[in-house]
Amino acid sequence: MMLEPAQCAGDAPRTAPEQGTPEESSSAVTPGTPRTAYPTTDPEQATRLPAPAPDARRRSERDQWLRRRRLERQLHDGAALRISALTLQLGLFRHRVPDAEPDLHASIESLQDELHAVLQELRDVAGKIYPPLLDEAGLGPALREAADRIETPLRIDAPADRFGPAAEGAAYFAIIECLAAIDAAACEPVTQKPGAQEPEAHETATGPVEVLVRRDTDEQDGGVLAVELTGVDVRHAEPMLDQVRRLGGTIDVAGGPGSGTITARIPCE
Amino acid sequence: MRVALAEDGALFREGLLMLLQAAGHEVVGCTADGDALVELLASQPADVAILDIRMPPEPDGGLVTAERLRAAHPDMGLLFLSHYAESHYLMRILRIGTDSIGYRLKEKVGSVDVLTDTLDRIGSGEIVIEPVLAKRLVERPRGDKKGVVATLSERELDVLRLMAEGRSNNGIAAQLFVTPKAVEKHIANIFGKLNLHADTAEHHRRVLAVLTYLRSQRDGD
Repeated sequence: MMLEPAQCAGDAPRTAPEQGTPEESSSAVTPGTPRTAYPTTDPEQATRLPAPAPDARRRSERDQWLRRRRLERQLHDGAALRISALTLQLGLFRHRVPDAEPDLHASIESLQDELHAVLQELRDVAGKIYPPLLDEAGLGPALREAADRIETPLRIDAPADRFGPAAEGAAYFAIIECLAAIDAAACEPVTQKPGAQEPEAHETATGPVEVLVRRDTDEQDGGVLAVELTGVDVRHAEPMLDQVRRLGGTIDVAGGPGSGTITARIPCE
Repeated sequence: MRVALAEDGALFREGLLMLLQAAGHEVVGCTADGDALVELLASQPADVAILDIRMPPEPDGGLVTAERLRAAHPDMGLLFLSHYAESHYLMRILRIGTDSIGYRLKEKVGSVDVLTDTLDRIGSGEIVIEPVLAKRLVERPRGDKKGVVATLSERELDVLRLMAEGRSNNGIAAQLFVTPKAVEKHIANIFGKLNLHADTAEHHRRVLAVLTYLRSQRDGD
């Protein structure tokens, strides 16, 4: 569900749904229909285009991640910068308005506050397209920053290595979606033990989720980005699979449904 | 104040230049990248250098430029402006220096008063931290620190937030309309509750102690 903002933010939308669907059985209709609809009037004669080879599918999935990263940069260098510059111009304007106009001063200030709110929303969207910190500093810093917004306590162990924008993007959103699912599940039942009274007691009961990022070497490829989540309900692995399989990745689960380990492996380019 | 600035976005650079001039500051240099600024400041004195974080020579060229400027001109203040206020960058900035240094959101310096206040504080040696970020650090305590921060009174939380912004006792007192003496008392209580050593009398060491405390709850860097 985190993917949606990217699909409505720019040039991604037309291709993104097509990327997702070919996996399913109904998929081949989607790419085939628009092209063949015009030359022939007989629906019987529609030619179904062959499904792309796995390699081609993976390549276009990587392109999607590059496109998402470009979109984030475009927001930063374009709209965001313009709006920031606008706040400076308003500041200059306010400075030129005589002090005898306090109402005007207040109006200009509230306009500036409004622009700050607009920028906060843009930052939020940018973070869902491709977190700038992920682009600039990698999985470790991006996950630590995201830990701020997640209730479940995390322990993150990530190397400074980089794994490429596609593998990092898929891993990041897979982890975030899994943690969001854990957060949501933790909010639902209030089946606290009788002894627990503090909110933190709940967390100690859950225990921190350990996030371990490492590079698994693979002989054929450049390497595999492996992410291990320990201390999680393995039922939350399902949404992660969607993220990683499009890049040819895999998910392994171990341990019981209560507290187990989810390991995602994503080949790097 | 003599100010130099480097920012690769022309629109923002021009806007900032005009606002600085309107505020009565002398802009001694205005460049589109960090290397040009370093070169310019080799011969031109300035009190504070204003740097965009995400600009050439590298993806985060502002930080590299700042390291070079701090080495060449230890007394020159540094103000980082960015579209993002992230604790990751705050920690990297504080590794470059812990005095006469600041980190603010680009859209939050859009007034003569705020800009001048920010520059004055940096000029007088303070750390200036974007209030939006300071607030986030104080309001989102995690793990075992959550319980401790929850024991602070509302007033103590206000003081903690202003401390995390890098404000001095007098600065905090002015913001909260109380006496510096009252602020000292609140700070002593906060340090007691957070179990921090009270011997960090020196302003920037105290700010660092607070930031490290708030930061350490996030397991890792």
